[in-house]
Amino acid sequence: MMLSFFDQFLSPTFLGIPLIALALTLPWVLFPKPTTKWLNNRTVTLQSWFINRFTQQLLLPLNLSGHKWAALFASLMVFLLSLNMLGLLPYTFTPTTQLSLNMGLAVPLWLATVIIGMRTQPTVALGHLLPEGTPTPLIPVLIIIETISLFIRPLALGVRLTANLTAGHLLIQLIATAAFVLAPMMPTVAILTATVLFLLTLLEVAVAMIQAYVFVLLLSLYLQENV
Amino acid sequence: MLSRVVLVSAFLNHALSLSLVQASRSLHTTSQSLAPVPSLPEKGGKVRHGIFPEEIFQLLYPKTGVTGPYMLGTGLLLYMLSKEIYVINHETIAALSIGTVIVYGVKKFGPDVAAFADKLNQDKVAKAQEVKDLAMTSLSQAIEEEKKEQWRAEGRSLLFDAKKNNVAMLLETNYRERLHMVTHEVKRRLDYQVALQDLNRRMEQEHMVNWVEKSVVGSITPQQEKESIAKCISDLKALAKSTQAMA
Repeated sequence: MMLSFFDQFLSPTFLGIPLIALALTLPWVLFPKPTTKWLNNRTVTLQSWFINRFTQQLLLPLNLSGHKWAALFASLMVFLLSLNMLGLLPYTFTPTTQLSLNMGLAVPLWLATVIIGMRTQPTVALGHLLPEGTPTPLIPVLIIIETISLFIRPLALGVRLTANLTAGHLLIQLIATAAFVLAPMMPTVAILTATVLFLLTLLEVAVAMIQAYVFVLLLSLYLQENV
Repeated sequence: MLSRVVLVSAFLNHALSLSLVQASRSLHTTSQSLAPVPSLPEKGGKVRHGIFPEEIFQLLYPKTGVTGPYMLGTGLLLYMLSKEIYVINHETIAALSIGTVIVYGVKKFGPDVAAFADKLNQDKVAKAQEVKDLAMTSLSQAIEEEKKEQWRAEGRSLLFDAKKNNVAMLLETNYRERLHMVTHEVKRRLDYQVALQDLNRRMEQEHMVNWVEKSVVGSITPQQEKESIAKCISDLKALAKSTQAMA
């Protein structure tokens, strides 16, 4: 059967059974549980080291009440990172290309930060809507602009992740198809295209890691403003 | 320990305690058995070409020799390709490129990452070893110092002996001094008595002599005095004559 370029983004099913739950929980299998032993194998050592360092770096600018989010941020980062990286393999489905998943992650978390800000320190939270040092005639306009910017945040978070990954996957597919089609006809051009594909794959690996990090970083920034 | 619980539960209400024993099993943190824990392997299982475990090669070696697994792999691959079970399409090219990236990454950064992970563990061990070494050096130092103190304590008895000797000498000296003082004082008193007696005798003597002289002088009558003077003169004359005669 012919593969269209968008079939890779369909939620996977097998004989009518949706496999999205499997696709979402499979990365969990790849991360070994930390043991009660003092010295572990290399995988567990590296994993513990990475999560410790990442959480420490991420929570540096947050004050003490923001540290409650440490587990959430660390697990979100590992989740997104693993989904993105596994999606680069051929014939895999990347759940983070689905806008529904990304909005489902972005909107509740962003809303949680806003509500925390409004409940614990409403004055400070509302004060973020007006940057310091604005000239007096500009204040009403600026409040409106800042409110719009506030409400765009969850959209931006979700769409950023979706768009980056979808675009990357599509590009890989397109250029791979180009190389595949050109291979019998113009081998040298196919080799050039393959080189482009190789560079693009490198870029996609970087994008996969960076997008996961940016998602979590922005959430921590929104939390920092409000906590 | 579990057997004890079972025995106790057998005496109590049978059904309730049995179910309790089984239900609380999820809260156990240890295996409740005293058997020694098997040690973990230090390195992971050996693999060839990054993904195929060495055990497959060992399994096939007796029947098919060294090239057996490779033939199996090639055969499988060709079977899948020729029967179009695996179709070559654009995904294959994408798989080739991501495969190149992965292999390149593992070959280039693999040893460094492994060394880093090993270093993390080694640092942990080194820290604990440092604590142990520090404790051992401090303890051995304490032993050395204790031995020195014991030696000093032995020497202290010599010191005590010397001090005892000193004190004994002081006492002796003090005793001798006082003895000397006592004899001196006694001698002084005795000398005084002797001097007193001498004085007494001398005074008696003088007195007696004076009395005798006085009585003698008093007893000399003027007649006697003249007689004696005349006698003295006549003696003198006789003497002068005899001298003149000799000369």
